[in-house]
Amino acid sequence: MAIRDLLNEDVIVSDMTARDKKSAIIELCHRLSERRPDLDQGRMVSVLLNRERLGSTGIGQGIAIPHGKLPEIDSLVTGFGRSREGVDFASMDDSPAHIFFVLFAPAGAARTHLDALARISQILQDEKVRQMLMEAEGPGDILKVIDDAEKRLEVS
Amino acid sequence: MFEQEPAPTALLFVVFGVLMALSALFSRTAQRAGIPVVLVFLVIGMIAGTERLTGLRFEDYGFAFRIGMAALVLILFDGGLNTPMVSVRQGVRPAAILATLGVIATAGLVAVAAHLLGFSWGVALLLGAIVSSTDAAAVFAVLRGSGLHLKRRVSVTLEIESGSNDPMALILTMALASALVGGGDLSWVVAVEVLVQLTVGAALGFVFGFGGRWLLGWARLETGGLYPVLTIALALVAFGVPTLFLGSGFLAVYIAGVIMGNGPIPYRSGLLRVHDSVAWMSQITMFLVLGLLITPSILLEVAWIGIVLALVLAVLARPLVVVLSLLPFRYPWREVTYISWVGLRGAVPIILATIPVLLGVPGGEEIFHIVCAMVIVSTIVPGATVRWLTEKLGLISAEPPPPPAVLEIQSTQILDGEITSYYIDEASAACFARIGDLPFPKGSLALLIVRGKKLKAPRGDTMLRPGDHLYVFYRKEHLPFIQLLLGRSQEE
Repeated sequence: MAIRDLLNEDVIVSDMTARDKKSAIIELCHRLSERRPDLDQGRMVSVLLNRERLGSTGIGQGIAIPHGKLPEIDSLVTGFGRSREGVDFASMDDSPAHIFFVLFAPAGAARTHLDALARISQILQDEKVRQMLMEAEGPGDILKVIDDAEKRLEVS
Repeated sequence: MFEQEPAPTALLFVVFGVLMALSALFSRTAQRAGIPVVLVFLVIGMIAGTERLTGLRFEDYGFAFRIGMAALVLILFDGGLNTPMVSVRQGVRPAAILATLGVIATAGLVAVAAHLLGFSWGVALLLGAIVSSTDAAAVFAVLRGSGLHLKRRVSVTLEIESGSNDPMALILTMALASALVGGGDLSWVVAVEVLVQLTVGAALGFVFGFGGRWLLGWARLETGGLYPVLTIALALVAFGVPTLFLGSGFLAVYIAGVIMGNGPIPYRSGLLRVHDSVAWMSQITMFLVLGLLITPSILLEVAWIGIVLALVLAVLARPLVVVLSLLPFRYPWREVTYISWVGLRGAVPIILATIPVLLGVPGGEEIFHIVCAMVIVSTIVPGATVRWLTEKLGLISAEPPPPPAVLEIQSTQILDGEITSYYIDEASAACFARIGDLPFPKGSLALLIVRGKKLKAPRGDTMLRPGDHLYVFYRKEHLPFIQLLLGRSQEE
């Protein structure tokens, strides 16, 4: 399963307006629910906030990967967001978050869920990739950066 | 028969040992009944010190003052060691206002009430100053000992406030008591002195904190047992040196504790445990000794004044000061209510109340006993209601329960790997995952699952269930990723 296959331009928010954790999560879920009218925005928001309660998914270096389980889906659902100003996400290194991957996994798919988390953080581990994501023009560009980065991972 | 040594010493040991044991044993019962433990120690001391009952006579205010200061230094240092940097960042600004302007305002309001009760302005102000600081020991004990997990911002504000407001109260008390004795008047000099004390205290706190870190890392001691000796020594010096040079020793020792507790120090878990014990012992000793000073007959005579002033403090002065101080920080009203109510007074006022006696302020003993009555009332009332209020206001955080077993690495060296336990919550991505499916980075390993009272070996096909505690060995650089998979570690 590749992350790029789960993303498309419609679920990428390339200029987030939110500045705090809750509104960032709402903004990202709002975009997802526009694309997937079968998913309830309020449900998605509460699932993500429920996970944040255990500790921030802002893993530092400007990255946040809010995620959770959504019983009503049968395969992974992802979204992407970028904030140039940065969001106060209570990240582990206390710095603002700029790059967001939202991830929903079906219930009973712990392995897929964990693998996707690992893959996303692997892609974002490369400082150059993060920099290119920040400099990318729009959703199309962002998608291409992720695509290339993932391909490089597979080769190595 | 008891005249010749070592008999008197032995007798003293027996009496004090029994009192300490009683205090430790009673703490559990008291907690269940909702009475703050520290009060039990005070009452045991008071009963033991009643001359007619036990024949013990203890009137040494100077000795009690010294014991109290030593105990407070060790308690503050321990409090600092256990304060995570994240908390400091969150709570330092509101706490700083509460600990400075808040203390002055509280002292002023209590003084007005005392003046209305018929005290001269000098004595009224002195009374206000003595009870103006919340007590770190009492607040730490209530917050940590109750097993309640408060919402972080609330507990952080309370703890940092009480860790840092004693200097202000001490300075005010000294200045007012000296003015009463010397007949001198108060002037702007006090304001300057306050600034100097806080600045020097803070600066030296940083010096000793970082110096201590360096010293612990540099020293290669033969046995683990020597490390706590070094840290206790550091605490004493971190209090003493600033105090000798116009600085606030209390502030310095607290800051030094915070800095050392947040740094890479060897033998960490062992050190923290020793300091926890030392803090408890200090607390028991301090309250016992202060209890010994109390003469019940005098206490009863002035009790009504103490009760009235304590109520004014709890219902009027403290809430007003907290509401105003926290205004710029926009705390929700529930949190403001809570912080107002849990401004516990404890040993600090009692220790400060020995100062007028020591300096020979007229009516010093009366002041001492009024303060004792105030402390007792203002500890019983908020102390006994704290659990109820926490639940009522919905301020209990969803903190996971601690694991029933602890697995840790003990070393006198600073190592690059750590063992941490994670509570598996239903919302965690790893919940219902098999151990073999955890995409741990190389060099990390699941070591042990604690499920209820059972210890389970984590095998590849073992499934993680909600409520499990999972112990993981990892390298520091992998911590964020592990937390992403599992949730929050329980160390924080």
